[in-house]
Amino acid sequence: MTPKHPLSHEVLATRGAERRFESPIVGVKIARDGKNAAALTADGEVILINRQTMRETESWLVETLHDGGLSLARDCAADSFLTGGEDGRVLKIRPDGSHEELYKGKGWIETLESTPGHYAFSIRKDVMLRDAEGKGEFKTLEHPSTVTGLAFDAKGLKIAASHYNGVSLWFVKAKESTPRSYEWKGSHIHVAVHPEGEAIVTAMQENELHGWRLSDGHNMRMSGYPRQVHSMSFTRKGKWLATSGADAAVLWPFFGGGPMGKPPLELARLPGLFSSAVLAHPTEEIVAVGYEDGAIIIAEIGDDDHRAIPVCRGAKSKGVDRGAVTSLCFSDDGGMLIFGTEEGYCGVVDLTAQS
Amino acid sequence: MAASEQQGETEQTVPVTVLTGFLGAGKTTLLNHILTTDHGRKYAVVVNEFGELGIDNDLVVDADEEVFEMNNGCICCTVRGDLIRILTKLLRKRGRFDGIIVETTGLADPAPVAQTFFVDEHVRNKARLDAVVTVIDAYNILQTLKESPEAVHQVAFADVIILNKCDLVDAAQQEEIIKKLRSINSVAQIHKVERGQASLTDILDKGGFDLKRALDTMPDFLESHHHHHEEGVSSVSFSLKGELNQQRFQQWIGAILQEQGADILRAKGILHFKGEKRRFAFQAVHMMADGDFIGEARDPSTEEESRLVFIGRNLDKEGLRRGFESCLAA
Repeated sequence: MTPKHPLSHEVLATRGAERRFESPIVGVKIARDGKNAAALTADGEVILINRQTMRETESWLVETLHDGGLSLARDCAADSFLTGGEDGRVLKIRPDGSHEELYKGKGWIETLESTPGHYAFSIRKDVMLRDAEGKGEFKTLEHPSTVTGLAFDAKGLKIAASHYNGVSLWFVKAKESTPRSYEWKGSHIHVAVHPEGEAIVTAMQENELHGWRLSDGHNMRMSGYPRQVHSMSFTRKGKWLATSGADAAVLWPFFGGGPMGKPPLELARLPGLFSSAVLAHPTEEIVAVGYEDGAIIIAEIGDDDHRAIPVCRGAKSKGVDRGAVTSLCFSDDGGMLIFGTEEGYCGVVDLTAQS
Repeated sequence: MAASEQQGETEQTVPVTVLTGFLGAGKTTLLNHILTTDHGRKYAVVVNEFGELGIDNDLVVDADEEVFEMNNGCICCTVRGDLIRILTKLLRKRGRFDGIIVETTGLADPAPVAQTFFVDEHVRNKARLDAVVTVIDAYNILQTLKESPEAVHQVAFADVIILNKCDLVDAAQQEEIIKKLRSINSVAQIHKVERGQASLTDILDKGGFDLKRALDTMPDFLESHHHHHEEGVSSVSFSLKGELNQQRFQQWIGAILQEQGADILRAKGILHFKGEKRRFAFQAVHMMADGDFIGEARDPSTEEESRLVFIGRNLDKEGLRRGFESCLAA
């Protein structure tokens, strides 16, 4: 039997909705409580979407809050979001669109991350860290060169910052601020922390990944990508690291002695099309993969005969010309997906079982 | 087909002008002159962290000039990581800017900036390096060139040299300065100005790194026959009649750039290969090279002349000439 083309029908059409904005979508997030989603555009518009009415795109709230949008994160609080802009401001945004300025400085807010207990963002070489309640001053974590990526560990106790020649790992609550340094020559442009604390992985300028095994500091190199890796996501328990940068999602095994000496798994392969965003599902062994032509596929992780569900077709398969998928987010319960693209498309999909 | 595709690429990429020059040469004055002239275009300006204040533009981004070495086996392949990040973000939205001007610090080597445009995929897709413009203070330049290798590099790298403060030197001194600049860089366009009042058409949209415009930007130079020995950076140029063997040329130039790329700051060429009706344009920054067939098929009755110029240190002119001549097709 000939397998059906993986993009033969679109879940977006039957279970979702999308809307186009003037400006590229730079980030999408779903709040910790799963009740609201948000997207940020390069022009600085914040789009707020109530999950109950998400398919009614005219109900989406759109507010221009930054002069140039750069970064979006969930807030520490369950229902809100954090945004950072070219205007040097960090805002806390509530689902009703009301907002509060948490920081104002000079310099772009290029990265922004949070846990229920803390939030952190970077301005050039400095990471500014503060607790959720906003008591006390910001703690400034200084780095030798510009911070390119930020990631908290799963417990929210440590924060990793990537920069030239490696990663600095800081204890969030330490009084004295000296990081543990993981060094590797070159330009590291994104960072991910293994959910069980086994490894730190960075994407590098040269179409490859570098990793450090945290138990012994052993260096790991994962290479062979035709494109630069712009998106990395560990699966729920850290069994796999899903990455973009090839004509599939490339998944490195972090078990059984891997990833060293083990070939990666390739999922949702679309020949001649490069993946631009990947995201592991929060509860199942599933990944969402976005492509440079605007296609999105949800694929089950398996050795062979894995199942794939098309979310939407891209320009190369006679779908909508959305531009490259820039960002993806699942709700914590796994029942909702939001995506954003370079040509300003923001879409939402309901993945819950339908009665 | 290929030509029309290339046309499209140029239209979709945003031109980036790199402004170099020593502190006090008049970069900021020139920058403000560019920005305040009524041209109806919208520019983003990337300045360095030690930049002078008072730049008259809506969007001015501070850069840290963070240079790193690529892990690609090429010893001199350094790029500006900060520029990759800033350009990628500035260019997220198409049509936001008509151009970007990158100002470097007085002591900066232009090579990492230029190499950034060869190396990074995202930058290549969205932006194109238009030209390196070097601003020079006519009053101090001869002294500066003696004392500072960085200043020599900035002259060597230039597509355009703005010889500023010409009102402070007399005609004889101007001649001497231009002769000195030509000995370093025989192909840059040199414009004499006072108080930074350069004509915008001399600075913007020069296509200095554009292969398709290589014919315009490569002057009809005569081969220089001066036998003076240059200690520092100099230009050597060759023109050769007759068709070249493409494979032999590629092998030769590849080996030259591999062996001498650290000393070769820039190289440019327009070449005629046997069996190919179009011209081949070639350029290199240190070891990074780029080449393509350009333009219309030529009239077979015209005389084939290939031209090649190297700007760099310790150039063995005779060795390079013999090598180039050995590429002639049998």
